Amino acid sequence: MISDPKHYKQKQRRKAEYIKPPNLLKAKVGSGGLSDNILAKAQALLENNSVDFQPLAELYLNSLFGGIERTRKDLKNGETEFQIASMLYPAMQLKANGGMFHYPLVTTIADRLVQFLEVIELVDDNAIEIVLAFHTTLRAVIMGKIQGDGGTHGADLIAALDQACMRFFERYPDHKVGGQPDHSSSF
Amino acid sequence: MAYELHKISVLVVEDNQPMLDITKSLLLTFGIGHVVGAQNGEQGFDRFCEYNNDIIIADWMMKPMDGISFTRLVRNDAQSPNPYVPIILMTGFSERRRVIQARDAGVTEFLVKPFNAKDLYRRLVQVIERPRQFVRAPDFFGPDRRRKRVHTGRYEGPFRRDADMQNPEILKMMRQQQMAAHDTLDRIRKREGLNKGDKFDLSPQDDR
Repeated sequence: MISDPKHYKQKQRRKAEYIKPPNLLKAKVGSGGLSDNILAKAQALLENNSVDFQPLAELYLNSLFGGIERTRKDLKNGETEFQIASMLYPAMQLKANGGMFHYPLVTTIADRLVQFLEVIELVDDNAIEIVLAFHTTLRAVIMGKIQGDGGTHGADLIAALDQACMRFFERYPDHKVGGQPDHSSSF
Repeated sequence: MAYELHKISVLVVEDNQPMLDITKSLLLTFGIGHVVGAQNGEQGFDRFCEYNNDIIIADWMMKPMDGISFTRLVRNDAQSPNPYVPIILMTGFSERRRVIQARDAGVTEFLVKPFNAKDLYRRLVQVIERPRQFVRAPDFFGPDRRRKRVHTGRYEGPFRRDADMQNPEILKMMRQQQMAAHDTLDRIRKREGLNKGDKFDLSPQDDR
């Protein structure tokens, strides 16, 4: 049976106005896009940039290390969200900038760290150890000027860090929701 | 015919100087007529009020004012010369909740770093060719947050269409069905003493 059709007559609860601004941008630039030649030129410019990433990377590495130290010192009293942010933001900067300046391995490793920090909701000694392992690895890649993907050595480093993260989540199956560690498995 | 990008002006707000330089160079290589740089949200807003740029490209993480607060200012401040201006947010974040956070602040497009020349170009094309309508609600002003969903999932319709032959799972299922049919035929032939090509009638017991 069809229910009372009153719901059709209900008053609108949220008032939203839809606005379609004139497309002045399109009117200015016209049509046709850009040629492959221009895009190739722009890509070449990006690939041949001679920016020295090391000073910038050291800045972010120091900031990451500062975040680790502050979190470690104030582990029990600090605010978790703030602690994670202090490590997450420099990690994100390393991820964002590594690949732009010929250090894709830095981007790959820092991306893993960002994913780790985006998932955890609690910070403890083990979580800090993992972030420290990422920091040490990133530092080694940057100081060793390992540009490109790092070959098999790079793949080994990533695999080792992945395993450390996996062991962490195996031990703390409910870590995402603030659960208790599972002491039956070894870290 | 090509885009006449020399007619437009772009504001790039980025606190990382090498990144700011490289983004500006890319835009100039694309042929953008006027590229203005700023090192944080506050400076970016001042520049925007001064130049009323056609497109804004802003980084997320900046101090003292980040890209999200800057976007809110451009969209909602009475001094803003154009609250409808397309804003492309650059960031290393790619997690869904971050994208939602940016979208809710009024960002038009999201560009994940590191990016290449084509990635940047695609975002420009997107804001030129597919501008989004704006929504003004009590708690939000910005580009319409709903997007038309493009179906990319597994095809669930009837089998044996052209697209099915590209799907390994469907191919596997079809192969299993064919093998089961061959087994049934072999069983019937053996039982009846028939050869291949001989005609026969199916009895209900064969349908197993």
